[in-house]
Amino acid sequence: MKGPEVSIRVSDLTLRFPVYGVDSKSLKKHLARITVGGKLGRTGMGAPEVTALSGINLELHSGDRLGLIGHNGSGKTTLLRALAGAYEPDEGTIDVHGQIAAMLDLNLGIDPSATGLDNIRLRGRIAGLSAKEIEERMQEIADFTGLGPFLAMPLKTYSAGMQARLAFAVATAVHADVILMDEWIAVGDADFQKLAHKRILELMERAGILVLASHDLELIRLYCNKVMRIEGGVASPVMDVKKLDELLAAA
Amino acid sequence: MQSVQHMVRTGRRGPMHEFSMAFADLRASFDRIGLAWSLAKHDVVSRYRGSILGPFWITLSMGLMVAGIGFLYANLFKVPVNEFIPYVALGIVFWGMIANVIIEGCSTFVQAAGILSQSSLPMFTFVWRTVMRNVINLLHHLIIIVGVLLYYDHWRQTDVLMGALGVLLLLVNISWISLAAGIASARFRDIPQIVGSVVQFAMFMTPVFWLPGGRLLDHAVLLLNPFYHLLEVVRAPLLGQPVDARTYLVLGAMAVLGWAGTFTTFALIRRRIVHYL
Repeated sequence: MKGPEVSIRVSDLTLRFPVYGVDSKSLKKHLARITVGGKLGRTGMGAPEVTALSGINLELHSGDRLGLIGHNGSGKTTLLRALAGAYEPDEGTIDVHGQIAAMLDLNLGIDPSATGLDNIRLRGRIAGLSAKEIEERMQEIADFTGLGPFLAMPLKTYSAGMQARLAFAVATAVHADVILMDEWIAVGDADFQKLAHKRILELMERAGILVLASHDLELIRLYCNKVMRIEGGVASPVMDVKKLDELLAAA
Repeated sequence: MQSVQHMVRTGRRGPMHEFSMAFADLRASFDRIGLAWSLAKHDVVSRYRGSILGPFWITLSMGLMVAGIGFLYANLFKVPVNEFIPYVALGIVFWGMIANVIIEGCSTFVQAAGILSQSSLPMFTFVWRTVMRNVINLLHHLIIIVGVLLYYDHWRQTDVLMGALGVLLLLVNISWISLAAGIASARFRDIPQIVGSVVQFAMFMTPVFWLPGGRLLDHAVLLLNPFYHLLEVVRAPLLGQPVDARTYLVLGAMAVLGWAGTFTTFALIRRRIVHYL
Protein backbone atom coordinates (compact mmCIF):
# COMPACT_ATOMS: atom_id res chain seq x y z
CA MET A 1 0.00 0.00 0.00
CA LYS A 2 2.62 2.46 1.06
CA GLY A 3 5.53 0.09 1.33
CA PRO A 4 8.45 1.63 -0.48
CA GLU A 5 8.31 4.97 1.26
CA VAL A 6 8.66 3.69 4.79
CA SER A 7 12.06 4.50 6.19
CA ILE A 8 14.03 5.54 9.22
CA ARG A 9 17.08 7.73 8.86
CA VAL A 10 19.11 8.73 11.84
CA SER A 11 22.26 10.72 11.43
CA ASP A 12 24.76 11.73 14.10
CA LEU A 13 22.13 11.47 16.79
CA THR A 14 23.35 12.65 20.16
CA LEU A 15 21.06 12.78 23.14
CA ARG A 16 21.95 14.20 26.51
CA PHE A 17 19.75 14.03 29.55
CA PRO A 18 19.89 16.89 31.93
CA VAL A 19 19.35 15.36 35.35
CA TYR A 20 17.22 17.74 37.34
CA GLY A 21 16.17 15.49 40.17
CA VAL A 22 19.53 15.50 41.88
CA ASP A 23 19.99 19.00 43.13
CA SER A 24 18.26 21.63 41.11
CA LYS A 25 14.62 20.73 40.93
CA SER A 26 13.82 22.72 44.02
CA LEU A 27 13.11 26.36 43.54
CA LYS A 28 14.87 27.16 46.80
CA LYS A 29 18.21 25.97 45.49
CA HIS A 30 17.61 27.81 42.27
CA LEU A 31 16.82 31.02 44.12
CA ALA A 32 19.68 30.52 46.54
CA ARG A 33 21.96 30.40 43.57
CA ILE A 34 20.74 33.79 42.43
CA THR A 35 20.77 35.44 45.83
CA VAL A 36 24.31 34.44 46.66
CA GLY A 37 25.49 35.91 43.43
CA GLY A 38 26.03 32.64 41.72
CA LYS A 39 28.93 31.54 43.89
CA LEU A 40 27.10 28.58 45.29
CA GLY A 41 26.25 27.32 41.85
CA ARG A 42 29.58 28.01 40.21
CA THR A 43 30.47 24.38 40.28
CA GLY A 44 27.16 23.24 38.93
CA MET A 45 25.47 25.87 36.82
CA GLY A 46 22.81 24.12 34.86
CA ALA A 47 21.84 20.56 35.54
CA PRO A 48 24.38 17.76 35.34
CA GLU A 49 24.08 15.95 32.06
CA VAL A 50 24.25 12.33 31.10
CA THR A 51 25.06 11.49 27.52
CA ALA A 52 22.64 8.72 26.69
CA LEU A 53 23.38 8.36 22.99
CA SER A 54 26.22 9.72 20.99
CA GLY A 55 26.78 9.84 17.28
CA ILE A 56 24.24 7.22 16.26
CA ASN A 57 23.83 6.62 12.54
CA LEU A 58 21.15 4.33 11.28
CA GLU A 59 19.28 3.77 8.08
CA LEU A 60 16.41 1.34 7.78
CA HIS A 61 14.02 0.63 4.95
CA SER A 62 10.87 -1.30 4.38
CA GLY A 63 11.35 -4.92 5.38
CA ASP A 64 14.13 -4.27 7.86
CA ARG A 65 13.76 -5.80 11.28
CA LEU A 66 16.41 -4.47 13.56
CA GLY A 67 17.30 -6.05 16.88
CA LEU A 68 18.91 -3.81 19.47
CA ILE A 69 21.14 -5.47 22.01
CA GLY A 70 23.22 -4.10 24.83
CA HIS A 71 23.50 -4.08 28.61
CA ASN A 72 21.03 -2.39 30.89
CA GLY A 73 21.40 1.35 30.61
CA SER A 74 23.24 1.15 27.32
CA GLY A 75 20.68 3.35 25.57
CA LYS A 76 18.40 0.89 23.79
CA THR A 77 15.16 2.23 25.23
CA THR A 78 16.36 5.80 24.85
CA LEU A 79 16.94 5.18 21.17
CA LEU A 80 13.46 3.71 20.83
CA ARG A 81 11.96 6.72 22.57
CA ALA A 82 13.86 9.07 20.34
CA LEU A 83 12.59 7.17 17.31
CA ALA A 84 9.07 7.43 18.70
CA GLY A 85 9.48 11.20 18.73
CA ALA A 86 9.38 11.67 22.48
CA TYR A 87 12.94 12.86 22.91
CA GLU A 88 14.33 15.63 20.80
CA PRO A 89 17.91 15.17 19.66
CA ASP A 90 20.57 17.50 21.00
CA GLU A 91 22.52 17.01 17.82
CA GLY A 92 21.79 15.30 14.54
CA THR A 93 18.50 14.37 12.96
CA ILE A 94 15.88 11.68 13.13
CA ASP A 95 13.73 11.32 10.05
CA VAL A 96 10.94 8.75 10.06
CA HIS A 97 8.54 8.17 7.19
CA GLY A 98 5.48 6.18 8.14
CA GLN A 99 2.98 5.75 10.94
CA ILE A 100 4.81 4.86 14.12
CA ALA A 101 3.50 2.48 16.74
CA ALA A 102 5.61 2.45 19.87
CA MET A 103 5.08 -0.41 22.29
CA LEU A 104 7.46 0.60 24.97
CA ASP A 105 5.51 0.62 28.16
CA LEU A 106 2.66 -1.66 29.13
CA ASN A 107 1.12 0.95 31.34
CA LEU A 108 0.85 3.68 28.76
CA GLY A 109 -2.49 5.38 29.23
CA ILE A 110 -3.79 2.60 31.42
CA ASP A 111 -6.35 3.43 34.04
CA PRO A 112 -6.45 0.61 36.60
CA SER A 113 -9.95 1.33 37.82
CA ALA A 114 -11.52 1.48 34.35
CA THR A 115 -12.76 -1.67 32.66
CA GLY A 116 -10.79 -3.53 30.04
CA LEU A 117 -13.07 -2.20 27.31
CA ASP A 118 -12.62 1.39 28.46
CA ASN A 119 -8.90 0.88 28.55
CA ILE A 120 -8.95 -0.41 25.01
CA ARG A 121 -10.73 2.77 23.99
CA LEU A 122 -8.35 4.98 25.91
CA ARG A 123 -5.21 3.30 24.64
CA GLY A 124 -6.59 3.17 21.15
CA ARG A 125 -7.18 6.91 21.20
CA ILE A 126 -3.68 7.57 22.43
CA ALA A 127 -2.25 5.22 19.83
CA GLY A 128 -3.90 7.32 17.15
CA LEU A 129 -7.14 5.54 16.33
CA SER A 130 -10.31 7.58 16.00
CA ALA A 131 -13.28 6.75 18.21
CA LYS A 132 -15.03 5.29 15.18
CA GLU A 133 -12.09 3.12 14.17
CA ILE A 134 -11.91 1.74 17.69
CA GLU A 135 -15.56 0.73 17.72
CA GLU A 136 -15.10 -0.89 14.32
CA ARG A 137 -12.15 -2.93 15.51
CA MET A 138 -13.40 -3.51 19.02
CA GLN A 139 -14.58 -7.04 18.31
CA GLU A 140 -11.32 -7.95 16.66
CA ILE A 141 -9.28 -6.48 19.50
CA ALA A 142 -11.48 -8.08 22.14
CA ASP A 143 -11.17 -11.47 20.46
CA PHE A 144 -7.46 -11.17 20.21
CA THR A 145 -7.03 -10.46 23.90
CA GLY A 146 -8.79 -13.72 24.66
CA LEU A 147 -10.00 -12.16 27.90
CA GLY A 148 -13.69 -12.69 27.14
CA PRO A 149 -15.94 -11.62 30.05
CA PHE A 150 -12.98 -10.17 31.92
CA LEU A 151 -13.02 -7.20 29.56
CA ALA A 152 -15.99 -5.87 31.51
CA MET A 153 -13.97 -6.01 34.74
CA PRO A 154 -11.73 -3.23 36.03
CA LEU A 155 -8.17 -3.55 34.90
CA LYS A 156 -6.88 -3.72 38.46
CA THR A 157 -8.25 -7.24 38.70
CA TYR A 158 -5.99 -8.39 35.84
CA SER A 159 -2.73 -10.23 36.20
CA ALA A 160 0.38 -8.88 34.53
CA GLY A 161 -0.03 -11.36 31.70
CA MET A 162 -3.63 -10.33 31.13
CA GLN A 163 -2.62 -6.68 31.03
CA ALA A 164 0.03 -7.55 28.51
CA ARG A 165 -2.54 -9.24 26.32
CA LEU A 166 -4.74 -6.19 26.38
CA ALA A 167 -1.93 -3.76 25.74
CA PHE A 168 -0.52 -5.83 22.95
CA ALA A 169 -3.87 -6.29 21.28
CA VAL A 170 -4.53 -2.56 21.18
CA ALA A 171 -1.04 -1.59 20.19
CA THR A 172 -1.00 -3.98 17.26
CA ALA A 173 -4.47 -2.94 16.13
CA VAL A 174 -2.94 0.24 14.75
CA HIS A 175 -2.03 -0.04 11.12
CA ALA A 176 1.51 1.00 11.67
CA ASP A 177 4.43 1.10 9.28
CA VAL A 178 7.07 1.36 11.92
CA ILE A 179 6.88 -0.73 15.05
CA LEU A 180 9.10 0.06 18.00
CA MET A 181 9.09 -2.58 20.65
CA ASP A 182 10.75 -2.94 23.98
CA GLU A 183 11.20 -6.33 25.43
CA TRP A 184 7.90 -6.78 27.27
CA ILE A 185 6.48 -9.02 24.61
CA ALA A 186 7.83 -11.96 26.59
CA VAL A 187 5.26 -11.54 29.38
CA GLY A 188 2.28 -13.63 28.31
CA ASP A 189 1.81 -17.39 28.56
CA ALA A 190 2.64 -19.86 25.82
CA ASP A 191 -0.73 -19.47 24.12
CA PHE A 192 -0.34 -15.78 24.01
CA GLN A 193 3.22 -16.01 22.78
CA LYS A 194 1.97 -18.00 19.83
CA LEU A 195 -0.73 -15.45 19.05
CA ALA A 196 1.67 -12.57 19.47
CA HIS A 197 4.12 -14.30 17.18
CA LYS A 198 1.47 -14.62 14.50
CA ARG A 199 0.40 -11.04 14.94
CA ILE A 200 3.92 -9.74 14.60
CA LEU A 201 4.48 -11.75 11.45
CA GLU A 202 1.24 -10.32 10.02
CA LEU A 203 2.32 -6.87 10.94
CA MET A 204 5.67 -7.44 9.37
CA GLU A 205 4.03 -8.46 6.15
CA ARG A 206 2.02 -5.33 5.80
CA ALA A 207 4.21 -2.89 7.65
CA GLY A 208 7.68 -1.78 7.02
CA ILE A 209 10.07 -1.71 9.88
CA LEU A 210 10.45 -3.34 13.24
CA VAL A 211 12.90 -2.17 15.85
CA LEU A 212 13.05 -4.53 18.80
CA ALA A 213 15.17 -4.04 21.90
CA SER A 214 15.83 -7.22 23.79
CA HIS A 215 18.26 -9.18 25.90
CA ASP A 216 16.80 -12.36 24.57
CA LEU A 217 19.01 -13.41 21.70
CA GLU A 218 16.57 -16.11 20.63
CA LEU A 219 13.87 -13.50 20.24
CA ILE A 220 16.20 -11.37 18.15
CA ARG A 221 17.08 -14.34 15.95
CA LEU A 222 13.41 -15.12 15.55
CA TYR A 223 12.15 -11.73 14.48
CA CYS A 224 15.06 -9.72 13.21
CA ASN A 225 17.19 -9.77 10.12
CA LYS A 226 19.56 -7.08 11.28
CA VAL A 227 21.18 -6.36 14.56
CA MET A 228 22.89 -3.44 16.24
CA ARG A 229 24.71 -3.36 19.53
CA ILE A 230 24.67 -0.31 21.76
CA GLU A 231 27.23 0.09 24.51
CA GLY A 232 27.37 3.22 26.63
CA GLY A 233 25.37 5.16 24.08
CA VAL A 234 27.66 4.27 21.21
CA ALA A 235 26.31 2.02 18.51
CA SER A 236 28.00 -0.64 16.45
CA PRO A 237 27.34 -0.68 12.72
CA VAL A 238 24.13 -2.43 11.67
CA MET A 239 24.95 -6.05 10.86
CA ASP A 240 23.21 -9.04 9.47
CA VAL A 241 21.64 -11.12 12.20
CA LYS A 242 23.76 -14.10 11.11
CA LYS A 243 26.74 -12.24 12.45
CA LEU A 244 25.18 -11.91 15.90
CA ASP A 245 27.78 -14.19 17.43
CA GLU A 246 30.60 -12.17 15.93
CA LEU A 247 29.06 -9.05 17.32
CA LEU A 248 28.82 -10.58 20.75
CA ALA A 249 32.33 -11.89 20.61
CA ALA A 250 33.68 -8.51 19.60
CA ALA A 251 32.63 -6.97 22.89
CA MET B 1 -6.68 6.01 5.05
CA GLN B 2 -3.96 8.05 6.61
CA SER B 3 -1.23 9.17 4.34
CA VAL B 4 2.30 8.21 5.15
CA GLN B 5 3.36 10.28 8.08
CA HIS B 6 6.61 12.04 8.26
CA MET B 7 8.40 12.93 11.43
CA VAL B 8 11.59 14.91 11.58
CA ARG B 9 13.39 15.68 14.80
CA THR B 10 16.58 17.69 14.83
CA GLY B 11 18.96 19.38 17.19
CA ARG B 12 18.56 23.07 17.92
CA ARG B 13 18.70 25.21 14.82
CA GLY B 14 18.15 28.64 16.24
CA PRO B 15 15.10 30.28 17.77
CA MET B 16 13.11 30.52 14.53
CA HIS B 17 13.19 26.77 14.19
CA GLU B 18 12.15 26.34 17.81
CA PHE B 19 9.17 28.60 17.20
CA SER B 20 8.10 26.75 14.10
CA MET B 21 8.32 23.45 15.99
CA ALA B 22 6.22 24.93 18.79
CA PHE B 23 3.63 26.07 16.25
CA ALA B 24 3.68 22.62 14.70
CA ASP B 25 2.94 21.20 18.14
CA LEU B 26 0.05 23.61 18.57
CA ARG B 27 -1.32 22.81 15.12
CA ALA B 28 -1.04 19.08 15.69
CA SER B 29 -2.95 19.44 18.95
CA PHE B 30 -5.81 21.10 17.07
CA ASP B 31 -5.70 18.45 14.36
CA ARG B 32 -6.24 15.86 17.06
CA ILE B 33 -8.44 17.91 19.33
CA GLY B 34 -10.73 14.90 19.67
CA LEU B 35 -8.00 13.13 21.60
CA ALA B 36 -7.84 15.92 24.18
CA TRP B 37 -11.60 15.73 24.47
CA SER B 38 -11.55 11.95 24.95
CA LEU B 39 -8.92 12.23 27.65
CA ALA B 40 -10.83 15.00 29.40
CA LYS B 41 -14.04 13.01 29.27
CA HIS B 42 -12.26 9.99 30.60
CA ASP B 43 -10.88 12.06 33.51
CA VAL B 44 -14.32 13.25 34.49
CA VAL B 45 -15.96 9.86 34.17
CA SER B 46 -13.24 8.06 36.08
CA ARG B 47 -13.39 10.51 38.96
CA TYR B 48 -16.98 9.56 39.64
CA ARG B 49 -16.76 5.90 38.73
CA GLY B 50 -18.63 3.71 41.15
CA SER B 51 -20.70 6.51 42.63
CA ILE B 52 -24.44 6.31 42.12
CA LEU B 53 -24.96 9.80 40.76
CA GLY B 54 -21.78 9.76 38.70
CA PRO B 55 -20.77 13.09 37.18
CA PHE B 56 -23.97 14.64 38.51
CA TRP B 57 -22.15 14.95 41.78
CA ILE B 58 -20.53 17.91 40.08
CA THR B 59 -23.92 19.55 39.75
CA LEU B 60 -25.19 18.48 43.13
CA SER B 61 -22.20 19.52 45.21
CA MET B 62 -22.07 22.87 43.47
CA GLY B 63 -25.81 23.31 44.01
CA LEU B 64 -25.44 22.63 47.73
CA MET B 65 -22.57 25.10 47.97
CA VAL B 66 -24.49 27.82 46.14
CA ALA B 67 -27.61 27.32 48.25
CA GLY B 68 -25.64 27.18 51.49
CA ILE B 69 -23.50 30.23 50.93
CA GLY B 70 -26.30 32.08 49.19
CA PHE B 71 -28.82 31.85 52.03
CA LEU B 72 -26.22 32.18 54.77
CA TYR B 73 -24.59 35.34 53.45
CA ALA B 74 -27.84 36.86 52.26
CA ASN B 75 -29.13 36.63 55.84
CA LEU B 76 -25.89 37.64 57.51
CA PHE B 77 -25.38 40.71 55.36
CA LYS B 78 -29.07 41.50 54.97
CA VAL B 79 -29.09 41.51 51.19
CA PRO B 80 -32.14 40.37 49.21
CA VAL B 81 -31.93 36.67 48.41
CA ASN B 82 -33.21 37.06 44.87
CA GLU B 83 -30.35 39.44 44.09
CA PHE B 84 -27.68 37.64 46.01
CA ILE B 85 -28.17 34.01 44.99
CA PRO B 86 -27.75 34.55 41.23
CA TYR B 87 -24.70 36.68 42.01
CA VAL B 88 -23.14 34.04 44.22
CA ALA B 89 -24.07 31.17 41.91
CA LEU B 90 -22.27 32.75 38.98
CA GLY B 91 -19.42 33.81 41.23
CA ILE B 92 -18.76 30.37 42.66
CA VAL B 93 -19.21 28.50 39.40
CA PHE B 94 -16.86 30.66 37.39
CA TRP B 95 -14.40 31.14 40.20
CA GLY B 96 -14.26 27.37 40.48
CA MET B 97 -13.44 27.18 36.80
CA ILE B 98 -10.69 29.80 37.03
CA ALA B 99 -9.15 28.24 40.12
CA ASN B 100 -9.30 24.65 38.86
CA VAL B 101 -7.87 25.33 35.43
CA ILE B 102 -4.92 27.11 37.03
CA ILE B 103 -4.36 24.65 39.86
CA GLU B 104 -4.83 21.57 37.69
CA GLY B 105 -2.56 23.21 35.14
CA CYS B 106 0.29 22.50 37.54
CA SER B 107 -0.07 18.78 36.91
CA THR B 108 -0.74 18.99 33.17
CA PHE B 109 2.69 17.78 32.12
CA VAL B 110 3.70 15.95 35.27
CA GLN B 111 0.66 13.71 34.98
CA ALA B 112 1.30 13.06 31.30
CA ALA B 113 4.92 12.06 31.91
CA GLY B 114 4.33 8.44 30.89
CA ILE B 115 2.72 9.31 27.59
CA LEU B 116 5.02 12.20 26.75
CA SER B 117 8.16 10.14 27.26
CA GLN B 118 7.22 7.54 24.69
CA SER B 119 5.17 9.12 21.98
CA SER B 120 5.19 12.12 19.74
CA LEU B 121 1.81 13.40 20.90
CA PRO B 122 1.64 17.19 20.93
CA MET B 123 2.24 18.71 24.34
CA PHE B 124 -0.62 21.13 23.83
CA THR B 125 -2.99 18.18 23.77
CA PHE B 126 -2.52 17.91 27.52
CA VAL B 127 -3.08 21.62 28.07
CA TRP B 128 -6.41 21.31 26.27
CA ARG B 129 -7.15 18.20 28.27
CA THR B 130 -6.94 20.22 31.48
CA VAL B 131 -9.02 23.06 30.07
CA MET B 132 -11.63 20.76 28.55
CA ARG B 133 -12.00 18.77 31.74
CA ASN B 134 -13.12 21.98 33.38
CA VAL B 135 -15.33 22.92 30.48
CA ILE B 136 -17.13 19.61 31.02
CA ASN B 137 -17.54 20.51 34.68
CA LEU B 138 -18.85 23.90 33.64
CA LEU B 139 -21.46 22.24 31.44
CA HIS B 140 -22.69 20.36 34.48
CA HIS B 141 -22.85 23.62 36.41
CA LEU B 142 -24.81 25.28 33.66
CA ILE B 143 -27.92 23.56 35.00
CA ILE B 144 -27.56 25.49 38.25
CA ILE B 145 -26.93 28.78 36.52
CA VAL B 146 -29.90 28.43 34.22
CA GLY B 147 -32.06 27.24 37.09
CA VAL B 148 -31.11 30.11 39.36
CA LEU B 149 -31.52 32.74 36.65
CA LEU B 150 -34.95 31.36 35.79
CA TYR B 151 -36.12 30.93 39.35
CA TYR B 152 -35.11 34.41 40.48
CA ASP B 153 -36.43 35.88 37.27
CA HIS B 154 -33.13 37.25 36.04
CA TRP B 155 -33.17 35.61 32.67
CA ARG B 156 -34.90 38.54 30.97
CA GLN B 157 -31.89 40.79 31.60
CA THR B 158 -29.32 38.13 30.70
CA ASP B 159 -27.13 39.09 27.79
CA VAL B 160 -26.20 35.66 26.48
CA LEU B 161 -24.07 36.95 23.63
CA MET B 162 -21.86 39.13 25.80
CA GLY B 163 -21.79 36.36 28.36
CA ALA B 164 -20.47 33.94 25.73
CA LEU B 165 -17.86 36.47 24.68
CA GLY B 166 -16.93 36.75 28.35
CA VAL B 167 -16.52 32.98 28.68
CA LEU B 168 -14.31 33.01 25.59
CA LEU B 169 -12.11 35.77 26.99
CA LEU B 170 -11.97 33.90 30.27
CA LEU B 171 -10.90 30.65 28.59
CA VAL B 172 -8.26 32.32 26.44
CA ASN B 173 -6.71 33.88 29.50
CA ILE B 174 -6.85 30.98 31.92
CA SER B 175 -5.45 28.65 29.25
CA TRP B 176 -2.16 30.50 29.11
CA ILE B 177 -2.00 30.79 32.88
CA SER B 178 -2.61 27.05 33.04
CA LEU B 179 0.13 26.37 30.51
CA ALA B 180 2.53 28.64 32.38
CA ALA B 181 1.73 26.84 35.63
CA GLY B 182 2.29 23.51 33.88
CA ILE B 183 5.71 24.43 32.54
CA ALA B 184 6.85 25.99 35.80
CA SER B 185 5.60 23.07 37.88
CA ALA B 186 7.32 20.54 35.67
CA ARG B 187 10.62 22.28 36.29
CA PHE B 188 10.20 23.31 39.92
CA ARG B 189 8.20 21.08 42.19
CA ASP B 190 7.55 23.92 44.64
CA ILE B 191 5.37 25.76 42.17
CA PRO B 192 2.11 23.82 42.72
CA GLN B 193 2.19 24.75 46.42
CA ILE B 194 2.81 28.39 45.59
CA VAL B 195 0.08 28.45 42.97
CA GLY B 196 -2.31 26.81 45.43
CA SER B 197 -1.77 29.46 48.08
CA VAL B 198 -1.92 32.34 45.63
CA VAL B 199 -5.19 31.13 44.14
CA GLN B 200 -6.65 30.59 47.60
CA PHE B 201 -5.75 34.10 48.66
CA ALA B 202 -7.04 35.49 45.38
CA MET B 203 -10.43 34.01 46.17
CA PHE B 204 -10.73 36.26 49.21
CA MET B 205 -9.39 39.26 47.35
CA THR B 206 -11.88 38.82 44.52
CA PRO B 207 -15.59 39.50 44.99
CA VAL B 208 -16.66 35.90 44.52
CA PHE B 209 -19.20 35.94 47.31
CA TRP B 210 -19.07 39.45 48.60
CA LEU B 211 -20.63 42.44 46.90
CA PRO B 212 -18.31 45.31 46.20
CA GLY B 213 -20.19 48.51 46.85
CA GLY B 214 -19.63 52.17 47.65
CA ARG B 215 -16.02 53.25 47.88
CA LEU B 216 -14.84 49.73 47.06
CA LEU B 217 -16.09 49.92 43.48
CA ASP B 218 -13.09 51.75 42.12
CA HIS B 219 -10.66 50.38 44.61
CA ALA B 220 -7.26 49.21 43.38
CA VAL B 221 -7.89 45.79 44.90
CA LEU B 222 -10.53 45.33 42.22
CA LEU B 223 -9.08 47.26 39.32
CA LEU B 224 -5.62 45.77 39.58
CA ASN B 225 -6.90 42.31 40.29
CA PRO B 226 -6.94 40.26 37.08
CA PHE B 227 -9.24 37.70 38.69
CA TYR B 228 -11.85 40.40 39.26
CA HIS B 229 -11.88 41.20 35.55
CA LEU B 230 -11.95 37.52 34.61
CA LEU B 231 -14.97 36.98 36.79
CA GLU B 232 -16.74 40.22 35.97
CA VAL B 233 -16.54 39.76 32.21
CA VAL B 234 -18.75 36.69 32.54
CA ARG B 235 -20.87 37.49 35.55
CA ALA B 236 -21.95 41.03 34.72
CA PRO B 237 -23.55 40.30 31.32
CA LEU B 238 -25.25 37.18 32.64
CA LEU B 239 -26.80 39.29 35.39
CA GLY B 240 -27.73 41.91 32.84
CA GLN B 241 -25.25 44.48 34.06
CA PRO B 242 -22.91 46.48 31.82
CA VAL B 243 -19.25 45.51 31.74
CA ASP B 244 -16.73 48.25 32.32
CA ALA B 245 -14.71 48.94 29.16
CA ARG B 246 -11.58 48.75 31.30
CA THR B 247 -12.32 45.09 31.92
CA TYR B 248 -12.21 44.28 28.22
CA LEU B 249 -9.05 46.32 27.87
CA VAL B 250 -7.34 44.53 30.72
CA LEU B 251 -8.38 41.07 29.55
CA GLY B 252 -7.48 41.76 25.92
CA ALA B 253 -4.04 42.99 26.88
CA MET B 254 -3.60 40.12 29.30
CA ALA B 255 -4.49 37.57 26.65
CA VAL B 256 -2.07 38.98 24.09
CA LEU B 257 0.85 39.57 26.43
CA GLY B 258 0.25 36.40 28.38
CA TRP B 259 0.11 34.15 25.35
CA ALA B 260 3.10 35.87 23.76
CA GLY B 261 5.20 35.42 26.86
CA THR B 262 4.09 31.91 27.69
CA PHE B 263 4.30 30.67 24.13
CA THR B 264 7.81 32.09 23.76
CA THR B 265 8.87 30.30 26.93
CA PHE B 266 7.23 27.13 25.70
CA ALA B 267 8.94 27.38 22.32
CA LEU B 268 12.37 27.88 23.86
CA ILE B 269 12.24 25.08 26.41
CA ARG B 270 9.77 22.71 24.73
CA ARG B 271 12.39 20.05 24.06
CA ARG B 272 13.50 20.16 27.68
CA ILE B 273 10.08 19.69 29.25
CA VAL B 274 10.02 15.94 28.78
CA HIS B 275 13.31 15.71 30.68
CA TYR B 276 11.93 17.72 33.59
CA LEU B 277 9.30 15.11 34.26
